[in-house]
Amino acid sequence: MMAVAGRETAGLEFDALVKEHRAMVFSLAYHFLHDRGVAEEVAQEVFLSLHRNLDRVESAEHARFWLRQATVRRSIDEARRRKRRPQLALDQVAEPAAAPFGRDPMLGEALRRLIAALPEAPRMAMVLRYQEDLDPPEIARVLDMPVATVKSHLHRSLTLLREKLARRGVGEA
Amino acid sequence: MDWLEQELKRALERKEPSPDFAARVSAAARRGRWGSPRRWMAVAASVAVLAGGGVGYRWREGVKAKQQVMLAVRIAGGKLNRVQAHVLEVTQ
Amino acid sequence: MKTIVTLLLWGGLAATLGAQQLQLNFEYLAAKASAAVDVSLNGATLQFAAGFLNGKDPQEAQVKKLLTGITGIYVKSYEFKTDGVWTQADLERVRNQLRAPQWSRIIGVKSTEDGETAEVYVRSENQKMTGLAILVAEPKELTVVNIVGSVDLNSLSELGGHFGVPKLEVTPGQKSK
Repeated sequence: MMAVAGRETAGLEFDALVKEHRAMVFSLAYHFLHDRGVAEEVAQEVFLSLHRNLDRVESAEHARFWLRQATVRRSIDEARRRKRRPQLALDQVAEPAAAPFGRDPMLGEALRRLIAALPEAPRMAMVLRYQEDLDPPEIARVLDMPVATVKSHLHRSLTLLREKLARRGVGEA
Repeated sequence: MDWLEQELKRALERKEPSPDFAARVSAAARRGRWGSPRRWMAVAASVAVLAGGGVGYRWREGVKAKQQVMLAVRIAGGKLNRVQAHVLEVTQ
Repeated sequence: MKTIVTLLLWGGLAATLGAQQLQLNFEYLAAKASAAVDVSLNGATLQFAAGFLNGKDPQEAQVKKLLTGITGIYVKSYEFKTDGVWTQADLERVRNQLRAPQWSRIIGVKSTEDGETAEVYVRSENQKMTGLAILVAEPKELTVVNIVGSVDLNSLSELGGHFGVPKLEVTPGQKSK
């Protein structure tokens, strides 16, 4: 009876964690991989991993951190396996095609495509910064890289994006 | 934040997966199904890294460091307050 | 002989420059204390810890902001059951380091009634703050805080009023303790 109750409780906790964090996990994968279907596959695998290791989760905050880091790693693994994006130097990132953009939604989609074209590490740093609102030390913790490297990735990526958008006539008036 | 960063925040807002996502995940968790063997091994490898030592250890060390920072700041701030209170006492 | 001379010179040079990080060797006091806090956080550890501070929690966000200019925090705080465990010589060993030119005492308070002394020192270089030291000594308690880097004193003081420790509000004629 107690074992059944324990399983039921764990099931309820897991379902609650899925409900609370599904948007975060899915969006991290989606903005990194720029493919809804693949992002859902990655998100599902991350949650299944969580399910297997639920007893190791120490707190709500730990769960959030664990899910974030697991999603980051799985997304990068997935990108490498599919070879969806060859590793480009930052200055080789393609400019968005077509005519000057208006504001949302076209600019939003253009930005998502530009982000998706970045090399792995800057791409993930940008997603963590602007989707999750993490600051550089928090990003460094998730990506397990020095804070200075994170700051460099963010700075160079923003500079590149500004240049590419400016060439298309998009920027601050 | 400048205009580009604001636009990036908008563009990278969290999105929901498909409506049946949660149900699929719950069902898969109950079944214990992991998909293709190759994918399962990749996941197992990730789990070994994440849960075996890396994430757990770093997490605990990070929480410990944070607690020490909070303690140190509390003591330092408290003592500074005390000194300021003494000065107020003397000057009033 | 050469090694000894080098060490002495180095020690002398450090003293002349007024080291940002103080030498706080109080293991013998820790052994006699009824309660002891010993925190040593260098720059790398502070940066690591900052990543675990929740930017959305007001207190933690304030601590995170405070840490941006800091590269070291060292706290030694001891409580004793009886008077007379720590001596003036213990305080002098710290004060000697704070007599270097870069350090200035900005507050010094002595209360003969309760035997408490409290001092705050600031280290400056090129008109920029590079260190803070707080010494608070009571008959049964000794605390030394050394912060390396630039710290917002108002913010630090503000944080001293949180974490369940009420901020001291003194009205005229009222004793603080």
